[in-house]
Amino acid sequence: MRGFGEIAERLRRSTAQVFQGDRRSGGSGVVWSADGVILTNAHVARGPAAQVELWDGRRFEARVESRDPRRDLAALRIGAKGLEAATPGDSSALRPGELVIAIGNPLGFAGALSTGVVHSIGALPGMGRQPWIRADVRLAPGNSGGPLANAQGQVVGINTAIVNGLGVAAPAGRAVEFLARGARPSLGVTLRPLPIGLLILDIEPDGAAAAASLRAGDILLGSFDDLGDTLDSGRDVAPLRFLRGGERPVREAYVRLRARAEVA
Amino acid sequence: MTNELTALSDELAAAVERAGQAVAAVHARPRFSSSGVFWRPGVIVTAEHTIRHEEDIKVTLPDGSNAPATLAGSDAGTDIAVLRIEGSGAGAAPLARAAEPVPGNLALTIGRSEDSGVNATMGIVSAVSGPWRTWRGGRLDRYIRLDLTMYPGSSGGAAVNTAGEVIGIATSALSRIAGVAIPASTVDRVVEEILSRGRVARGYLGVGLQPVELPDHHKGLIVLSLAPEGPAAKAGVLIGDIFVSLGGQGVADTDDIQGVLEAHGVGQSVEAEVLRGGQARKLAIAVGERPRRD
Repeated sequence: MRGFGEIAERLRRSTAQVFQGDRRSGGSGVVWSADGVILTNAHVARGPAAQVELWDGRRFEARVESRDPRRDLAALRIGAKGLEAATPGDSSALRPGELVIAIGNPLGFAGALSTGVVHSIGALPGMGRQPWIRADVRLAPGNSGGPLANAQGQVVGINTAIVNGLGVAAPAGRAVEFLARGARPSLGVTLRPLPIGLLILDIEPDGAAAAASLRAGDILLGSFDDLGDTLDSGRDVAPLRFLRGGERPVREAYVRLRARAEVA
Repeated sequence: MTNELTALSDELAAAVERAGQAVAAVHARPRFSSSGVFWRPGVIVTAEHTIRHEEDIKVTLPDGSNAPATLAGSDAGTDIAVLRIEGSGAGAAPLARAAEPVPGNLALTIGRSEDSGVNATMGIVSAVSGPWRTWRGGRLDRYIRLDLTMYPGSSGGAAVNTAGEVIGIATSALSRIAGVAIPASTVDRVVEEILSRGRVARGYLGVGLQPVELPDHHKGLIVLSLAPEGPAAKAGVLIGDIFVSLGGQGVADTDDIQGVLEAHGVGQSVEAEVLRGGQARKLAIAVGERPRRD
């Protein structure tokens, strides 16, 4: 179809490959500014540094400037100028049925294009109360962090996950807010949902949860959504109720929710 | 920037919005809801295979509100179930009908979920052919194959063209390799029958048949089993009889028998020609109704 080719070519120039050590397990990224800001998923850039390869083959060491695990977004910076930045679109105006195209590096194949339509827009179970774009496009591991664009080539989402076969993308508006205001508070924990609450599997030594003396094995009472509401409440300090050793009494910890210190 | 692609994108989104006004979410199974289409005011058609519990069915209407629905009846053969709803949300206008689709036409399936409202998938009509019997035993007026991805929740939704006009009801249960649109004319027929009689009656002879080759190279169907007191038994058919024609048409396969039965309503008499001990005989069988599976 006339049009997809031109749009894809422009978008390809604004799409990067993002690696962390192992070249085989890379993701994608969006060149967000001409002076070196690359947007990707938090699950693609897990550590303080990453490697970025641009469409023209140039490779850069990237610093992870900010990560927001709950929104699954991360901002990287590379030392380059004059990049071909993507044009953000208005994700709040997106409608089901609109044509979309995704570019990324699925299974390591650089610059692959898939097309389809917006399936629906709404919250997803286990992914918070925030809305996600679901797209009827074929994605694969390696598309993560790459752009989902509309028929005008404007980036309306960041491809993040595949759920029941549908591509799931964070709306571009959320990415713009993340870049403007930084990461929202996070606990610095890895959680697994249980019937009674959220089991802490792992805890970052310098995270808010560790500072509040929570430990791996503790069970936070409530759901992911409840926890999200607490973290987004805007308070500096919030109480969290939890069980230790799986036993009563219910204990309480006070966590400090300032925006987490940037990863240096 | 405006281009052809943007124009098409806007057209598709408008079609989804228009068709979505007649599509509901249907909650009648665990985990995934399915979709349903307002076929007449107060009447929603969905895919029979997505109805797992017949009580406490709930639907999410195009305005986002929920309403209870009752199962008016269903037909597993064509994968159609008919729900009734009452009250303020019942008045959604049915969709305009699409012209006969041809292979290559763009097609969308429109569904709905409670959490995120209307949803859409897109692809093309990949094949259209004449009357087709499903593996479940029902007959569709046409076989309309959809080359698009059916997700959990797509079944029972509307298959529409780019103008938002309905081609049929989308289902993933009638073909292993593709989504199928149950043609609107078939839906009309089944809905009419279910609303007037509560079910779709299928013709039944009460015989188990096996194709056999006859000495003159003709083919027939030998009776291997006979339902006691079934229509054929009552008409005098015996085990070992060989059907060579039914209703004046030669029969070489059980599909031929099904085809003849579809043309004869329950209660009508149909003439069977059978071979018994090498002698041809004619018997009049009163077509019965196939017992319902439960």
